[in-house]
Amino acid sequence: MAVLNFDFKNKLDQIIGGNNHSYCFQCGACVGDCPAARYSEKFNPRLIMLKTIHGQYEELIQENSVIWECTNCYNCYERCPQDVRPVEVISALKNLATLQQTNPPITNQMVDAVLKTGRTVVITQTSQKIRKNLGLKPLDEVPVDEIRRIIE
Amino acid sequence: MTQTQKNRYIPFFGCMISVKYPQFEAAVRKTAAALGITLIDVPGFSCCPDPIYFKSSNKLDLLTIAARNLCLAEEVGLDLITLCSGCTATLSEAHYHLSHDAALKAKINKRLKKINKEYRGTSSVRHIVTVLRDDIGIEKVAHTVTNPLSNVRAAIHYGCHLLKPREIMQVDDPDRPTILEDLVHATGAQAINHEERLLCCGKACENPDIPPKMTYDVLQSIKKLNVDCMCLICPTCFDEYDLGQIKLARLFETRFQLPVLYYFQLLGLAQGLTPDELGINRHKIKANDLLEKILASEVTA
Repeated sequence: MAVLNFDFKNKLDQIIGGNNHSYCFQCGACVGDCPAARYSEKFNPRLIMLKTIHGQYEELIQENSVIWECTNCYNCYERCPQDVRPVEVISALKNLATLQQTNPPITNQMVDAVLKTGRTVVITQTSQKIRKNLGLKPLDEVPVDEIRRIIE
Repeated sequence: MTQTQKNRYIPFFGCMISVKYPQFEAAVRKTAAALGITLIDVPGFSCCPDPIYFKSSNKLDLLTIAARNLCLAEEVGLDLITLCSGCTATLSEAHYHLSHDAALKAKINKRLKKINKEYRGTSSVRHIVTVLRDDIGIEKVAHTVTNPLSNVRAAIHYGCHLLKPREIMQVDDPDRPTILEDLVHATGAQAINHEERLLCCGKACENPDIPPKMTYDVLQSIKKLNVDCMCLICPTCFDEYDLGQIKLARLFETRFQLPVLYYFQLLGLAQGLTPDELGINRHKIKANDLLEKILASEVTA
């Protein structure tokens, strides 16, 4: 029998978009038009919402969790009659995974790049040269100290 | 919406376009003058930040950094135009949430105060295709065309973040969009719809087996239609379908060899700009057949 884990639900509710999972009535509209569900036998947004409601969170935010198969296409956001916005609940779950460091390394790499250079794609001499050849101005450095300060 | 004084806008090119695919930036800048669009560059923008990885990490930080970018536009008093669907997603989402949630706005403004900024919500975020449709007008876009691409068949691909969620993006109906068709028609080319035209490119999916299958299915659905190129508007989709074809060639037997163009490169060709000026030679899948076809039609015209 599933046991509700309110501690987990409270934590999820603190994250933007996490609290809407409570409205899910398990209709499955999110599944029909989900590209990840079309290509993966494991991925099912309705089941992810059910597990979230039940507070069966360990498997959802453990390493290599199925939630990272979500393609972020927002079809479920469009289809859900309850405004659960499953993709937003899933990204709130990803935020929780990141807090306990079970997120895939690529997310840390991207965040580190933004905090270090202000960009996700790093400028090189070659990229500046390509810009010049296209008649574009060189790119300036981003004031990263401002970025770091506002998210401290 | 703020006053977009005489079609003056602040462009937000983002990381992927300005660093990885600067040819798209060049195409936008070089087609803008004929369209009557004035781009006012503003220094200091950071990554939007990206709506996949950064958002997965921390949504509050994402909205805070996005709000800082919006503040820079507000200080100038013009609307932002975005050219990357990812940047559009992040910045539109920030604008929407901060305009609808006073508590969130207060929380983020408290953070922004550390650098003497305050989000007010006075600059809108608009994808450049909506500027072409709503401010310039499709007919006016067509009037900038000097070399109509009438013998070109372009398969269009929308990508997800341009259209969804509709309550935030407000670009077009995500189930029955027409904006790209209309813009491709304005170049004189034929816009070809394919079965998988609304399928996601798959970039964000962290199961490495899935995105190539999605890319394959999209390209396969286009292949049947005898088109000259694919035309899209998102640099992430471009990554998946241009470089993606090289990756697919290692996994599957099929060689698609389908050139992929960003919309403003197609428009640039129709305005008489050269492939070099538009950086089309930089693409992994070479567009020689397409370019020869366009050149041949110019000679006979």
